[in-house]
Amino acid sequence: MNLLSHMGQFSILMARTFKKPEKMKIFYRQLMFEIDSLGIGSLGIIAIISFFMGAVITIQTASNIDSALIPAYTVGFTVRQSMILEFAPTIIALILAGKVGSNIASEIGTMRVSEQIDALEIMGINSASYLILPKITAAMLINPFLVIISMFIGMAGGYLVSWGTGMIPTSEYIYGLEYDFKVFSVYYAVIKTIFFAFIITAVPSYYGYFTKGGSLAVGAASTKAVVASSIIILIINYILTQLLLV
Amino acid sequence: MIKIENVSKAFNGEQILSNINITYERGKTNLIIGASGSGKSVLTKCTVGLIKPDSGKVFFDDREFTSLNTQERQEVRTEIGMLFQGNALFDSLTIEQNVMFPLQMHSSMNAEEMKERVDFCLKRVQLEGVNHKYPAEISGGMQKRVALARAIAMKPKYLFCDEPNSGLDPQTSIVIDQLISEITKENDMTTIIVTHDMNSVMEIGEKVIFIHKGKKWWEGDSETILTTDNQELSDFVFASSVMKRLARSSK
Ligand SMILES: Nc1ncnc2c1ncn2[C@@H]1O[C@H](COP(=O)(O)OP(=O)(O)OP(=O)(O)O)[C@@H](O)[C@H]1O
Ligand SMILES: [Mg+2]
Repeated sequence: MNLLSHMGQFSILMARTFKKPEKMKIFYRQLMFEIDSLGIGSLGIIAIISFFMGAVITIQTASNIDSALIPAYTVGFTVRQSMILEFAPTIIALILAGKVGSNIASEIGTMRVSEQIDALEIMGINSASYLILPKITAAMLINPFLVIISMFIGMAGGYLVSWGTGMIPTSEYIYGLEYDFKVFSVYYAVIKTIFFAFIITAVPSYYGYFTKGGSLAVGAASTKAVVASSIIILIINYILTQLLLV
Repeated sequence: MIKIENVSKAFNGEQILSNINITYERGKTNLIIGASGSGKSVLTKCTVGLIKPDSGKVFFDDREFTSLNTQERQEVRTEIGMLFQGNALFDSLTIEQNVMFPLQMHSSMNAEEMKERVDFCLKRVQLEGVNHKYPAEISGGMQKRVALARAIAMKPKYLFCDEPNSGLDPQTSIVIDQLISEITKENDMTTIIVTHDMNSVMEIGEKVIFIHKGKKWWEGDSETILTTDNQELSDFVFASSVMKRLARSSK
């Protein structure tokens, strides 16, 4: 299928997805479930990766500064800027595209090939809205928090390294973290995250929903979903950076 | 009453159904028989709109289903119960939640009434004590019965059962046939049963439709089927030695 027909079919699916849920009570129940599974369930991996990322950026920056003209607080500044601007929103989105994306595509794909989606339709239920809307909503609500947590953990990782190795004084590191801080950069990260949250959930839902065949097809759908959402994240990242920062 | 008019369907150039015309009658058990791969499941799915037929019309009583928009279809479908060939139970929900699901989505019952209805339906399919198990934790035959319980939970006007007794022992199979036949009468439903089981045909075949080579090859009832002179039908029916004996004794 070519790009254009994918986009057409995706739009039709989204039009069906963004309908008012038939039973609000059931929607909230599912939303809570998804917030727990997509959001809270990803906290562990996000914490580990962010911590080490902050630590590594600290070591790399510190070991590359050999000129007396560059102040030591540059390290803290660099960690903060990279965590907030790029690492927390984009890299975390890519990691979640792998973790959450394959999960969603295979879950919905399995429901498709085992006729569970047909069963929903036969009961007079809008299966797209029922299955997909809670996932998209949950991710768009919870991911900004995940990303902000990631920023803090990354900066804490850098702090621990500078304290542990003594490569730079911790007071300099802290000074760097605070140096020339603009709140807008956090807004920028949150805006990107909300876009990415949509991609991470909607694209895999699309691949899962239109799976044809058996369990092999579910696996293939899951792989395609991860690849496609990762590429879309990178493209959207470029566009948003251009729009928001330049 | 459900009426199918000139329905045709091809997959990748291969004609699966050609110009099918059938009227399923209300208050009766309408059986579809035919060899494996003859298109029985495809026909059922075309009838309820899960597969879009290439041409033809389907009427649910006086409503032309094929021309309705999504919203209107959804409304008709709240009156349909369907048992899928592969059960299609929701595997993230327990047995009880599966049967309760359509009630939660569409009925105005309170929790207690729903629980009562669920227990009632499960009891009717002879399943008790499995309420809190998951579909993966019960046997195939039990899953089939849960799927039937879910299909009848909303007291549908139209009931579709794709092979309701495949994988069941003969005794349970008869119970299920009787159950479907009973609720059809009780609620004056239009019931469509896809089956391979000649026993079911003899027990509850009030109207029997034989699908062969994508066409409606024969139509009749459990009486006339024994004396048929249609070659393909008798090949199908009398493949079973029990049926041969039955036919001999009826002559
Ligand atoms: N989605 C599909 N895409 C392509 N071909 C299909 C599809 N669904 C069914 N077919 C084909 O249609 C034919 C009829 O299939 P169907 O499932 O209706 O058979 P059936 O009569 O229900 O058989 P059984 O008794 O084994 O369930 C088969 O040849 C099958 O390959
Ligand atoms: Mg079939």
